Amino acid sequence: MTDSDNDKTSLKSFFWLWGILTIVGVVLGLYGPSHLMPKSMSPNMHLTILTMVIFTVAAAPVAAGVYAATIYVLRNWTHKGDEPPPPAKPVRENGIIVATWVSISVLLTLFLLIWGLGALAEDNASASSNPLIVNVIAQQWVWTFQYPGTHVESNSLYLPEGREVEFHVSSDDVTHGFWIVQMGVQVDANPGVITTIHTTPNVLGTFDVRCEQFCGLNHAFMDALGDVVTPQQFSTWLAAQPQRT
Amino acid sequence: MNGSKSLGIALASVLLGGGALALAGFALASDTPHQAALNCVRTSATACSLQLSTYPDSLEGAHGKTGGAHPTWVTYANDNLVVPENTTINVTIHQYDGGGSLNDPFFDQVMGTIGGTMVYNGKTVSHVDPNNIGHTFTLRNIPGNGKTLFVSVPLPADYRNPTITIGTGQYPKPNIIKFSFKTGGPGTYEWNCEYPCGDARVSSGFGYAMSSFGYMSGTLTVK
Amino acid sequence: MTTTLEHTAVAEESQGGGLARYQNAGTAVAGGVLFAFLFWLIARKTMDPTGEAFNDQVTTILGCGWIIGFWFGIGAFNGPMRWLLGRDHSRADDLYYAGHNQGRARYWKYTTDHKVVGVQYIIVTMGLLGVGGLLAMAIRTELIMPGNHFVNQQVYNAFISLHGMIMILALIVAIAGPWANFVMPIMIGARDMAFPRLNALSLWTLVSAASLLVAVAAVGGLTMGWVVLAPITDQNGVGMDLFALTIVVFAVSSTVGGVNVVCTILTMRTKGMTLERVPIFVWGAITTSALALYAFPFFFLVEVLQLLDRNVATSFFVSGGGGTGWLQANLFWLMGHPEVYVILTPAVAACFEIAAVMARKPVFSYRTAVAAMVGLSGLSILVWAHHMFTSGWAPTLGGPFMVTTEIISIPTGLFFLVLIGTLWRGHIWMKLPTIWMFGFIANFIIGGITGIYLSDIPIDNQLHGTMFVTAHFHYIFVGSVLFGAVAALAFWFPKVTGRFLDEFLGRISFWLVFIGVQVTFLAMFASGLKGMPRRVSSYSVIFDHTNLITTIGAYIIMSGMLVLLGAIIKSWGHGEPSGPNPWHANSLEWMVPTPPPLENFDVMPVITEDPYNFREEMVRS
Ligand SMILES: [Cu+2]
Ligand SMILES: [Cu+2]
Ligand SMILES: [Cu+2]
Repeated sequence: MTDSDNDKTSLKSFFWLWGILTIVGVVLGLYGPSHLMPKSMSPNMHLTILTMVIFTVAAAPVAAGVYAATIYVLRNWTHKGDEPPPPAKPVRENGIIVATWVSISVLLTLFLLIWGLGALAEDNASASSNPLIVNVIAQQWVWTFQYPGTHVESNSLYLPEGREVEFHVSSDDVTHGFWIVQMGVQVDANPGVITTIHTTPNVLGTFDVRCEQFCGLNHAFMDALGDVVTPQQFSTWLAAQPQRT
Repeated sequence: MNGSKSLGIALASVLLGGGALALAGFALASDTPHQAALNCVRTSATACSLQLSTYPDSLEGAHGKTGGAHPTWVTYANDNLVVPENTTINVTIHQYDGGGSLNDPFFDQVMGTIGGTMVYNGKTVSHVDPNNIGHTFTLRNIPGNGKTLFVSVPLPADYRNPTITIGTGQYPKPNIIKFSFKTGGPGTYEWNCEYPCGDARVSSGFGYAMSSFGYMSGTLTVK
Repeated sequence: MTTTLEHTAVAEESQGGGLARYQNAGTAVAGGVLFAFLFWLIARKTMDPTGEAFNDQVTTILGCGWIIGFWFGIGAFNGPMRWLLGRDHSRADDLYYAGHNQGRARYWKYTTDHKVVGVQYIIVTMGLLGVGGLLAMAIRTELIMPGNHFVNQQVYNAFISLHGMIMILALIVAIAGPWANFVMPIMIGARDMAFPRLNALSLWTLVSAASLLVAVAAVGGLTMGWVVLAPITDQNGVGMDLFALTIVVFAVSSTVGGVNVVCTILTMRTKGMTLERVPIFVWGAITTSALALYAFPFFFLVEVLQLLDRNVATSFFVSGGGGTGWLQANLFWLMGHPEVYVILTPAVAACFEIAAVMARKPVFSYRTAVAAMVGLSGLSILVWAHHMFTSGWAPTLGGPFMVTTEIISIPTGLFFLVLIGTLWRGHIWMKLPTIWMFGFIANFIIGGITGIYLSDIPIDNQLHGTMFVTAHFHYIFVGSVLFGAVAALAFWFPKVTGRFLDEFLGRISFWLVFIGVQVTFLAMFASGLKGMPRRVSSYSVIFDHTNLITTIGAYIIMSGMLVLLGAIIKSWGHGEPSGPNPWHANSLEWMVPTPPPLENFDVMPVITEDPYNFREEMVRS
């Protein structure tokens, strides 16, 4: 192969490849996260899945471009055999390409940052001035939940639908990671410190609490069951629990 | 350089040596890999009985007469419990150990047993003093597979009992705790103690015996 | 200087070496064992046996004994002692230390020749990768189905901790160790490293530390994950003390090595070898070493404080005593994030080098390549707290750290520009190094993009602590760094051995590992997205399919790596002879004979241009 390969026509095939791979990436982005990730039970989780989709769609042309270029290079400019191919036409600099590449990646990064910071602000925004407080206590390999003002302590997490919940998370021993899988919120449980997160459950049904910070022997078994119920069911449940002093 | 042989030998010895040492280490580290199974004894078509003990050292029970690698650690006598499916399991625990306060008083309750109670030295109770606990028997599930089997029973400590002798060791007269729970279908469950009975430098008390498999933890296999 | 040391010192050769004549790896081990025993005796007598920390103190002191004895045994103290006594090395001594005329024995000694050190690093890396890989297979075997079957959770936790630490050590030295030592000095036209004895010191301190890691397993293991964050570490037995000691010694090794590489590149370049004419790999070596000089002191510090907490009841990381685990987490990640780029940069630089030589074309926009590597190293010291987004520590810093982290995607993107720009319209010679280099490109894009997700806090709030993170950094470490390392090995193997790495076996290995990586880690992404936590010995049945696929993929990777091992062993002694310049490259390492003689050059070369002007006539010659 020589340097004067039919560039124009073959570049067309590069753009085709790029386009097709981008579409594959976009389709993956639209269906992958929502299909694989747990069903959303809170606005935070909804935002997480949405951000996954947006980022995948935004990244699709970049990844597709690199793959298309690599495949194109492999198809057009490789040489086999034990003798080295002759030298190629040297291209040491191309300011325009470098500048274009940097500008595009700066713009993409800016987009990701603006979206991400916006989503972060929305994640952190507190919707309610009267949230339900739940004290989350981690102890090696079990979670317990206290509902302040009621003397109720439980090893499964009951939450009313539609009301913001603020979790006050702490640990009796080592660092654990409090994670409500279907609500997209995590915070570490540390001894001697109270960390907080909040979310608003908006779908009825069961959910999982898992420990996501390595915490020793039975870390793999440190989970708790959760249930989002209607406010009436919640009050009934709370009243039926043994009162602990 | 025709060093392929010596390179091969060097690499093989590094790999084999490292691997063998590491394996030997892990074998030592888990000196109680899994003990022989302790089977539930059938008492009727729908019930069977399981007899457990907790000791302040490892000289009794399945760690062997010399106590294994850590004779001074507190231990359950067995870590590999096997019970039949869809059966009422009547458990008796002989608790020989001292103790103190729970990290989380939540575990002074009897949870998940038939009737939500246990029999503590002949008295039926649903909770005990959280500041006088020797161990707990807390049975948990493998995460998320739907077979919930949460049973947690506090095992009170008692220093007032006179000393008795078992084998080579001196122990207080045991507290006797009895409770029952029902099994569902087959599966393997993990249990452990939730009282901070293992030494550790910080206050948590979950080191050593609590952090090593087969002392204050084990499996319950439902067959 | 036109005559080499070799000529002037021939007469004195028989007298050189002194004590070093009797020292090798065997005496090092003997010294280590002897001192460990002595220190153990002393510790038993002097420490308070009723004290809470007695076992830790005895173990720590014993570990120090091993290290010091090992250094004595290998001969690390010979030079300084002779200097103190006014009997510094003669030329004959230097020649002896360089391994002159010692055949294969020099590979087992405190040898200062940079080429010997490079080969020693290859062996150490392969040993570490082998042990770490066996542990990986044990982990995947346990995770083949839900529940604990093969090992119990305690042993499993020990497996993941040791797997993590061994692989991190292996990858830190995998490319910089062999090639910044073996080829870099020749590339810049130096007779040796700036500090040849420090070079030997760096290698043998690494060996003394890595062997301690095996001892960690022997005293009950480390069951807290390799990040060993407080406060859970104080539930670990004495294995933790030896582990901390390993890290301390390893930090010394990498600092000594880093200083040496930086000084060599800055001061030892031959006439005309400006910083814009050095092969691009040299820039990778200097940025990675400079970054290591910044990062590993944090690692040193954090484990020294950890040792103090454990042994003498200080409370740097104990929340009840005025300390906090967050201090340790910060110190650890101040090291932990730059460390990722210490590992990655040499792989990238090696791929630049291979792309240019094999495409018969200069590196596209050399300055962009340099700026990307330097810029990435600079940025990487500003992002550490992204590992603590969900810790609850300083929530207000979330936004700023998100910004710095996402900016990293700009220099990372430049890597692809340089690589594709170099290959574009090249005449790409498809040999073994080229193939593995392409594997690097394909995997690095997936590893890179999944990192962007994790830098976004709303996403991290879900995926932190899951298998998604594990899959992400395995795409970087296995998919990218390992591929770069094998590409570099295939590329420079002929310079070390005079023989090609077996092309046929190498290609089989490539396809097995490449397919294995996709199977293993794509399925692992799925596990993570579904919500499977990291570092668990058992998992919910909803993750069973993806885990089974991951385990199958891991076995494919292992078979590929075994084929590669076979290829290396076969080719080392019986491979196809390559001649001194098999790739028809221009950089200096290909201009010297193979194997390169002691001190590399008879006549010091003078450089007038960079090594990327490929010319027709070279091909003919
Ligand atoms: Cu936990
Ligand atoms: Cu206990
Ligand atoms: Cu990082």
